[in-house]
Amino acid sequence: MSLEQTLFAIAATVCIAGSVAAVTVRDARGAGGALLATLLSLGVIYALLSAPLVAAAVIVIALFWIVPATLHLTATAPRAHPWPDAVGLAGAATVISLPLLLVLLLSVASGELPLNVSVHSTDGYDVNAFGAVLVGRFAVSAVAGALVVAVALAAAPIAARGRAR
Amino acid sequence: MTTAAYLYLGAVLFAVGAFGSLVRTNVAGRLVGIELMFAAAALTFVAAAAGFRELDGEVAALVVVAVGLAQAIVGFALVAGSDR
Repeated sequence: MSLEQTLFAIAATVCIAGSVAAVTVRDARGAGGALLATLLSLGVIYALLSAPLVAAAVIVIALFWIVPATLHLTATAPRAHPWPDAVGLAGAATVISLPLLLVLLLSVASGELPLNVSVHSTDGYDVNAFGAVLVGRFAVSAVAGALVVAVALAAAPIAARGRAR
Repeated sequence: MTTAAYLYLGAVLFAVGAFGSLVRTNVAGRLVGIELMFAAAALTFVAAAAGFRELDGEVAALVVVAVGLAQAIVGFALVAGSDR
């Protein structure tokens, strides 16, 4: 069994077990942990498929979105130190994730990855071609995707306040 | 590993997500199911990209991940708002 097959077997097992646990476990913290395991194993699978940028995006989302969201929903805050509101949380998440996003964009712009996460040592990942496709054929989709995320970030505090009432 | 193995994994992941989003009764559970379906779609795109040796699938997967993130943001806001 090669390294790739072994890694795929482990990651696929964790991925399926985690997804089943995520939809069956009733405890929110358990479901969040299972979803985190699923997304991290998907990151490994993307690395196996020689897609390091997608792997990095999924891992960043898993660590900087799923973990804080699960903690926010499950951890009990003392009355003297209440949780910050949605705007504060979104701002903190942006401050944390912005440098990582910047590294990703700089990688695409410069055509080099800061580290090689592919298990195929002979693979050369063509970041320039990736950037060309992103701003070429997929420019409209990429802008639409970025707009959807921006609108969601802006609408989330409004939706939370409306729901709280 | 063959591309088919990754595609099968994506299909299983999508089925689990669909099952969760249909069976679970609370909002958070359904959101997790939908999140899994988004992840399965992205995995299928990346596997197809690797199979056809084209980068289009990877870029499409990145867009799918972004839309999934937007869904998670709004869903989390609704759940957090109702918890208050």
